Amino acid sequence: MNAVSTGPIAGEDRQPEKKWRRRSLVALAILLPLTLAETSNDSLREWLHGEDLIARDVDFGQAVPFGGSDWKLADLRGGKAGRLPDHAFAVIATFSVKIGDPDLQKQWLGCKLMLTDAAGRRWLPDAISGVSLPAGVMSCTSAIFSSARKGDTITIGDTFIVPEDAVKTIRPAVGLGSERPWFLRFQRPPK
Amino acid sequence: MRIRILGNLVILASTVALSYGMQVSKPHYADLTAPIPVDGAMRDTVRARSFDVRLDKVVFARALKTNQFGQERSLTTSGLWAVVSTNLTATAASTTVAEGTWQGPTGLRYHQTERLGYRQDMPPHGVDPGLEKRGLFVFEIPPDQIRGASLLIAARQFAPLDAQARISLDGVPTSADGQPADVLPEFDLDAPQAHTPQGKS
Amino acid sequence: MFRTARSKVQTWITAGAGTIAALFVAGLMGAFGAMPAHAPPQLPLDAAIDAGRWRVQPVRAYVSHARTYGVLLKPGQKALVLEADMTNRTAQSDKAYFDVFKPDAITLPDPMPTIALIRDSTLTPELHPGMTERMAYVWPLAGDAAVPASLSFGVTAEIFKPRDNLYGMPGWFNPYRLGTITLPVADVPAPGTGS
Repeated sequence: MNAVSTGPIAGEDRQPEKKWRRRSLVALAILLPLTLAETSNDSLREWLHGEDLIARDVDFGQAVPFGGSDWKLADLRGGKAGRLPDHAFAVIATFSVKIGDPDLQKQWLGCKLMLTDAAGRRWLPDAISGVSLPAGVMSCTSAIFSSARKGDTITIGDTFIVPEDAVKTIRPAVGLGSERPWFLRFQRPPK
Repeated sequence: MRIRILGNLVILASTVALSYGMQVSKPHYADLTAPIPVDGAMRDTVRARSFDVRLDKVVFARALKTNQFGQERSLTTSGLWAVVSTNLTATAASTTVAEGTWQGPTGLRYHQTERLGYRQDMPPHGVDPGLEKRGLFVFEIPPDQIRGASLLIAARQFAPLDAQARISLDGVPTSADGQPADVLPEFDLDAPQAHTPQGKS
Repeated sequence: MFRTARSKVQTWITAGAGTIAALFVAGLMGAFGAMPAHAPPQLPLDAAIDAGRWRVQPVRAYVSHARTYGVLLKPGQKALVLEADMTNRTAQSDKAYFDVFKPDAITLPDPMPTIALIRDSTLTPELHPGMTERMAYVWPLAGDAAVPASLSFGVTAEIFKPRDNLYGMPGWFNPYRLGTITLPVADVPAPGTGS
């Protein structure tokens, strides 16, 4: 290509060509970062919608709209029950949820109940042999398919296994696909 | 004009040379996106990104006894069974540890066996922060792949740039010819072991 | 950029030369492709065959009328079974052995065989480097399909590329027919049922 452009070119052609070269260089400096942003946009969005990153703190007793419904921490209790590893406690967290938008399959997709402690560690629900949820309490996934209607209040909860050293500071949290990267982190009930 | 042509040719030639040099000398895509190894020894706690792992014990056996759907089976192999027991903990959040590979002294990779079907103590292991869990990894290996081998443990099979624990198996006792010092005729996977019970859904 | 007539001509010549070169190379490659290919050779049965990732040693072939190594047959079906010793020649555990054998001159309802480890009837387990295992390839056949007394199987191999052209990753590519094995096919009412 270069060999072609170095052929005899009329003198008046040189000035505009130089100008265009300079413009192209400047355009490159703008276009390259733009392309990078555009191509990584989808991945970034997907990542943000898949992670519980930013906590929204909720006081005990307060109900907060989240994923189209009002969430309130109903109960948090821990103790030695069932078959547990050494130095571990069983914890049951329950929430009472007043359904606003009944399309739970869309709003609550990827629903995740968690426990977090002061150090920021997170526990997902565990099945504990010998411990079952109180009557009338559903897991998040079964609630999605429970065909709850607008205005219903349902109780959602799960069991967790938490080490001894974390039990004092654990706080329940909820993440929903439609609200990520935000998630709710509830204040513990007062003693 | 002649100078310009020559100059351009020189630029072209040096660009080609530079590109070729970079292609030959720079790390390849496979290396750039490979898992990042975290080295450790047997009975040390190795800290990977999402989990900690401690290799407790390696048992060699000619056959494995296992209970599958209420039916007792004895599994044989053309080499040896290596049953590796580990102690696993999650670091920051509940997660799973699914991948074990026995890497021989020359780099041959023996992936964990698929012949045992689903078992509670087999991968994928669900692990929680602050709670220790015993997890088994079972391999079929030829006896000459034991001395100088290492165990690779990762959260997932294809995890570019994620941490991979690489535990040297130098602590495994072998005789002078590299054979393991102790090979059981049969190892019962369901025999009671000293482990902490934990139900994990 | 090319306002003068002369530079225009030069551009056309340069672009044209590239096109002509490309056409020439393509034509050459096509011509080579059209050359009479060597017929894949008949492979010996008494020695192991290096076929890409696998070293294979065929053992026997037969027609089975019952459950074979845990592979269930639909009612009215029979199965063509090929047993072979397989060794993984690569550096890592692998199960890409589905296309290694393919029976010639026989109509298969499903060309994909079910493959079982003869040792304990595990279906399609990974085979590990250097560890030879006897495997059974099971192709279901229609109950009334005619199976000749001697059957040819095509053996397919792949070539190893240390770096592929897209990601620079090592891998096995370009399957080709390595050769043909011919085995007598016995008719067995109920062979090894496995455990």
